[in-house]
Amino acid sequence: MAMDSASPETQTSERSGPAVYFDGVSSRRRTVTLRLAERLEIGEDGQAPAAWDYQDIRRVDGPAGILRLSSLAAPALARVEIRDEALAAALVSRCTGIDDHMIGRGGVAAIVGWSLAAAASIVAVVLFGLPLIADRLTPLVPEAFERRLGEVADAQVKTMFDAKVCDNEAGQKAFVKLVTAIRESAGLDTSVQSGVLSSSVPNAFALPGGKVYLFSGLLAKAENPDEVAGVLAHELGHLKHRDSMRGLIHNGGTSFLIGLLFGDITGSSALIFGSRTLVTSSHSREAETNADSFAIDVMHRLGRPAKPTGELLLRVTGKEGKGLSIISTHPLSEDRLARMSRQDPPASGPPLLTSEEWKALKSICSAKI
Amino acid sequence: MNEMTWPPQVPPSMPSVPPPMPVAFTGKRREFFDLVKRGAGLEFVTLGFYRFWLLTDIRRHLWANTLVGGDAAEYTGRGKELLIGFLVALAILVPIYVGYFLIGLEAEHLQAFASIPLVAFFYLFGQFAIYRARRYRLTRTVWRGVRFWMTGSGWNYALRASLWGLLMILTLGLILPWRNAALERYKMRHSHYGDLQGSFEGRGWDFFKRGWWLWLLTPVALYVTPVAPFIYGAYKAIEWRWWLSGIRFGGVRVESTLRKGDLIGLYWKVVGWIVVFGLVFSVYLGLAAVLVASMTDSSFTEFFTSQEFMKSIPLLVLAGLGYLVFALAMNIVIRVYLLRDLWVRVLGSINVSGLEAAANVAARGDLANALGEGFADGLDVGGF
Repeated sequence: MAMDSASPETQTSERSGPAVYFDGVSSRRRTVTLRLAERLEIGEDGQAPAAWDYQDIRRVDGPAGILRLSSLAAPALARVEIRDEALAAALVSRCTGIDDHMIGRGGVAAIVGWSLAAAASIVAVVLFGLPLIADRLTPLVPEAFERRLGEVADAQVKTMFDAKVCDNEAGQKAFVKLVTAIRESAGLDTSVQSGVLSSSVPNAFALPGGKVYLFSGLLAKAENPDEVAGVLAHELGHLKHRDSMRGLIHNGGTSFLIGLLFGDITGSSALIFGSRTLVTSSHSREAETNADSFAIDVMHRLGRPAKPTGELLLRVTGKEGKGLSIISTHPLSEDRLARMSRQDPPASGPPLLTSEEWKALKSICSAKI
Repeated sequence: MNEMTWPPQVPPSMPSVPPPMPVAFTGKRREFFDLVKRGAGLEFVTLGFYRFWLLTDIRRHLWANTLVGGDAAEYTGRGKELLIGFLVALAILVPIYVGYFLIGLEAEHLQAFASIPLVAFFYLFGQFAIYRARRYRLTRTVWRGVRFWMTGSGWNYALRASLWGLLMILTLGLILPWRNAALERYKMRHSHYGDLQGSFEGRGWDFFKRGWWLWLLTPVALYVTPVAPFIYGAYKAIEWRWWLSGIRFGGVRVESTLRKGDLIGLYWKVVGWIVVFGLVFSVYLGLAAVLVASMTDSSFTEFFTSQEFMKSIPLLVLAGLGYLVFALAMNIVIRVYLLRDLWVRVLGSINVSGLEAAANVAARGDLANALGEGFADGLDVGGF
């Protein structure tokens, strides 16, 4: 069959055969005769509307069983469609650059290579660049902006935990006394706000812009003023280091960059959440350790031991077990207690609260004493 | 009107009007499967960056094997264009996200969670993306050496879509048929094939007549989940048929005979695969946990009763890898059934009449950029 269309009488190696031609200017379907001469001659009714140089011919997508071609020199959408397999094969063998525009193995390798390079540089920035950026940027953020952030977080926290501020008179007086003592020892000014929120969750936290909250659940678990004092000192340490601002920059940057990597700028999918947790919690453990050191210093300056705070933490969390806690945001309670007990001098200063004041603080959330 | 301005070669008065031309699909299922399988592997290796090229290859396969009136279409878009569109969209979206954050901060200052209505802004943006992405795809669609193209304004469309969206909320979705008809009229009015102008003749009332009972059944589907694929499948079939039957390009008319039950099987197959993959994934997680537990020095029960296994790094890595493979397998299944098979089934229901009006159309129109596709990718809104 391969020799059918070639006519031996012409004594050339030229071949010819039927094809369909679209000139790229109109949608008219033309039945043409292709002649493989010096160039590809496209003939219709004895005329030749076009001729394509072989090196300009490129393969384009076509349905199964049809070879569809375009030419770099012709209108961009001009097409030749060949059904005859032998003719198609003969033509393809003459076109040297027919697949030059396709993405070959090299192209795919380039995509893979550059993707991996992009991923590597994003990971490097997340691990090494962002902590640096957060450290440098945090002092530049105006206090007013941070306070505003804190107010937003404040409103959300109160809504989320459905928490009310506890402030019966005697309790509040004791709380203020305790906080003031710690604040002065910590070297922070009076802009620090603090309060007790009624919630069974045994926790305390610092919000950006100088707010410290203690949940009544933690008060309930505490056995003496030193335990609570250490926790408050720890939270003031976060304020002093502006850890929430730093964490915000770090978290925001991390989820944005990881989202970029996986093609979801909003940063919501499970994978992003997972990898972000791993990265940010390691950073948070470092901040927690620093806040612990700060709390130990403050307590020692007040002449009070830091060990009770560690005991309170262990009482709250229970034994946390061994193994590397890669996804937990805090260091293990056992380790924190060990750090706080180390070089803990015996109490040399006066107690921070009298036993009446301590009793009042414990019942700060009850309406009447 | 278009028949008057662009008379077909055969005068319309002649009685020998050619019969409606069916649409054919020549692609092999195996070939498509290999394409998405390889693509999923490359997506895995490139952490998702390959998606631009995979999407392009999928469209190239579907377009090139779709024959209308005996001539196959062609998709001339390229993965690089999508990548550039994504990068440009990124450059625009990032400052907007920062602005959104700051505005949200001010709003939250006045009232907790007050920033939620700002999400509406992103709805507007998403509709803009949908319009512009359609424009990109249409200008990359070529048939008989002439491209489709599109005019109109993405923002105008986004505004219309948002107002209709508001009505959707107020009427609990009952107005959907009229919304779709109005938006489709806008899109088709601005779509062209060469110098043939598109139009949309589907009426909201026809859609409503065929599908109102689905609206009543939707609350049932929310409670009785197994009913959902039936309802969704029937809804999609009605929508496809109504939409296709309304499409006109000059004198070319599209008609679809898709039946309500034609797509339900596809959705059930996907559900079946999800269940199978879900089971395999859970068994894998169980095996991984046992394997990791047997390598630690603590006893089995201690490992599982304490929270220790939640913190084990090898287990987390194994679970992450398993999840990735699970997600990729799901992607393959969804692409094979809900892109390729659905495409073939819908095509099989189509008749095209008046094709002689497209026999000698002059090429017109310019290419549109892929910015809309980039936005659609960044905002995660639909379209393929």
